Amino acid sequence: MALTKKDWKELFIGIGFLLPNILGFLAFTVIPLVMSIYMAFTDWNLEMHNYFRSEPISFVWFDNFVKLFSDPDFPQYFGNTFFMMIGIPFGVAGSLVAALLLNMDFVKGDNRKRLTVTMILTAVMVCCFGLLAVLGLGGTGMTILMVSLVGGVLILGSIGGKTVYRTLFYFPYFTAGVATYILWKKLYSPENGPINNALRPLLDALTPVAILISPACEAIGIGLLVVVGLFYLCMVRRKLRLWRDGESGSVSIWLGMILSSLPLIFAWWWVSPTWLHIAGKEEALSLLSRNANWVLLLMLIFLGIGWGRFLYNFFFVGRKYTCIIDRGIGDSTIVDGSAMVLNMALVGLCCVFWILPEMAAAEEGLTPPNWTSDYYWAKPALLIMGFWGAIGSNNMLLYLAGLSGVPQELYEAADIDGATPWQRFWNITWPQLSNVTFFIMIMAVIGGLQGGFDMARVMTDGGPAGSTTTLAYYIYTQGFGTGRLGYASAVSWLLFLMVFIVTMFNWKFGNRYTNE
Amino acid sequence: MQEKNRFWGGFAKLVSLNVVLTLMAVLLVLPFTWMILASLKVLDEIGYDSWLPEVCQWHNYRDVFTRKGIFFGRWYWNTVFVSCWITFLQVFTSSLAAFSFSRLRWKGRDQVFFLYLATMMLPGLVMMIPNYQNMILFGLVDSYTGLILPAAFSAFGTFLMRQFMMNIPKSLDEAAEIDGATKWQLYWDVVLPLARPALVTLTIFTFIGSYNNLFWPLVLMKTPDKYTLPIGMLSFQSSQGQETNLLMAAVAMSVVPMIVIFVLMQKQLVKGIMLGGVKG
Repeated sequence: MALTKKDWKELFIGIGFLLPNILGFLAFTVIPLVMSIYMAFTDWNLEMHNYFRSEPISFVWFDNFVKLFSDPDFPQYFGNTFFMMIGIPFGVAGSLVAALLLNMDFVKGDNRKRLTVTMILTAVMVCCFGLLAVLGLGGTGMTILMVSLVGGVLILGSIGGKTVYRTLFYFPYFTAGVATYILWKKLYSPENGPINNALRPLLDALTPVAILISPACEAIGIGLLVVVGLFYLCMVRRKLRLWRDGESGSVSIWLGMILSSLPLIFAWWWVSPTWLHIAGKEEALSLLSRNANWVLLLMLIFLGIGWGRFLYNFFFVGRKYTCIIDRGIGDSTIVDGSAMVLNMALVGLCCVFWILPEMAAAEEGLTPPNWTSDYYWAKPALLIMGFWGAIGSNNMLLYLAGLSGVPQELYEAADIDGATPWQRFWNITWPQLSNVTFFIMIMAVIGGLQGGFDMARVMTDGGPAGSTTTLAYYIYTQGFGTGRLGYASAVSWLLFLMVFIVTMFNWKFGNRYTNE
Repeated sequence: MQEKNRFWGGFAKLVSLNVVLTLMAVLLVLPFTWMILASLKVLDEIGYDSWLPEVCQWHNYRDVFTRKGIFFGRWYWNTVFVSCWITFLQVFTSSLAAFSFSRLRWKGRDQVFFLYLATMMLPGLVMMIPNYQNMILFGLVDSYTGLILPAAFSAFGTFLMRQFMMNIPKSLDEAAEIDGATKWQLYWDVVLPLARPALVTLTIFTFIGSYNNLFWPLVLMKTPDKYTLPIGMLSFQSSQGQETNLLMAAVAMSVVPMIVIFVLMQKQLVKGIMLGGVKG
């Protein structure tokens, strides 16, 4: 295909406009990209191969990758990266709740109503202050501070409505960065941080309770695990119903079954020391020093019922309506993934109850955790901070936009049919928002894979003992800390591979899911 | 009677909803409250149960600027300087490229655009390491140029602008062409003014992004008085982090520009997120 003179002219102009951008694109994206591939297969080292000192670079083929996978710490960093993603469903759920609340008709309200509310609330506030003054409870500045804070927001919010709350929700996300991480590090400060200052009296009060329920802790643990199991069975039932009705295909039901089984398998790992024996990690027993073979049994029973039901239905009963094989895969990823995380959290809670008696029996009773300087608490600390920032994030705004796009007729029809709010949500709002949710989840997972650098650098330096080192932080320490650029490049390509898989998943299933 | 009941029912809902929202909002704002109050305390008061300072130490804010080894004013200026340059260059180059991708026709256009799109899913970390090597090669380590240049071109910005420009009616181009406008005039006088919402969005995003950027300055900058705020704050924390009151004053001040931008630009920002998010 020869180019005519006109084509050349168009090309010339087109490239002309593109020129500044494409030069930068070549210099800072394409060339580095090629270099990076090359570097990943060499022993390029900042100390030895740079502008001032260039020893020969040797090509090591896959040595970097071999080294990476044989690094004993690598599974931990890999696991950390995924552990930090536990926060995603909670953050998204928080955003959704915030958006739903903000979207309710009566926040917008008509002016007369809003004015009445404002006046009444103000009156209540004044009365509260008066009461405090009379009873003498207002002596401490803290009470006044809290009351006036709550009161101020309440009055402001009932006047300004949606905008005020949205702005306040959005603040943490908007300001997130080194500054807020430093702030949180101070909040988490073990000796005199405000969080622990507030927790100490609370935990002191709880210590007798903990001692009191100590004998029952095991039972509570069992109870929690039973809840986990029942929740799992509910999920199986839901999946089977969707599958039977042709709402979800075979791939998605298998995916969902595997996802929802994971917490039960993890319960063995976390609660039952039997597996630690097998794994040869006897030293980890000190944390959970009890023998809990019954956990294994309990979880096996639940798994047996769930999988038995599933396999029986899958192979012998069959479905009522057929559908394409990968239909509903987005739904199963979101719902089952979130349910899995929730179940994992319940198993974690069970572990807490498991060690509660020992903690309460200690001399000083229950003590607040050391947060970022504690091996086990550092990650939850970062997760809590992440949750704080995630509620009012862009996701909330995306959900608000999504909610405004839901046709009102659907709700009207539902009202005529006498649907409860719960039914309205699950049968109208949630399906209508599914494409927004899918988009948010995919973006969050992609961000999560690459994330954790800023937090780790500012708050924990990747520690204690590597418990907050994510892949991104590992790349930083390897590449710029110790100067092993070749090795760091190899890790970054592994990271790319994971992002690539998620993106492909999005491409393949994202659009189809949206169109359903 | 029924009418009245409905009014009071709605009323109760309104109150309870406001209370719930307020509690959520207060929980989210509490850390900031503590930050401000802690920044007004004397150092000894920090660990106290009460959040309130005995006497407000407003001079803490001044002390941050005069503290030895902390070039706070300088860092502030550096950050604003670098962020402004990055924002200007990125918005300019992105809008030019987006114009070419959306309003001009040339052979291979869509293929090149696809290449742009494909690089958007590359983790930034992949490019950081070779980029650092190149910076050493060109002697740009520890220079503002080195900070600004790599961030001045963005595939995401191009994508965002292109999506917006695609929606501007094509008939405008034809009209302009009939009037004898050159392509540059078409870009500068017709398309760019109409793409204002996208421009504003990209400006805000880029500014905030580069204001908060930690990784690249951390890798690149070596001399303390050339630091940007994020790495400056980091070195403040590691060198004099025990002085929580000063640190909190610094944190408060470094958050201020973003709050100002947010409050001023809220409407555009909300629109922009829909623009970049839903379609991306």
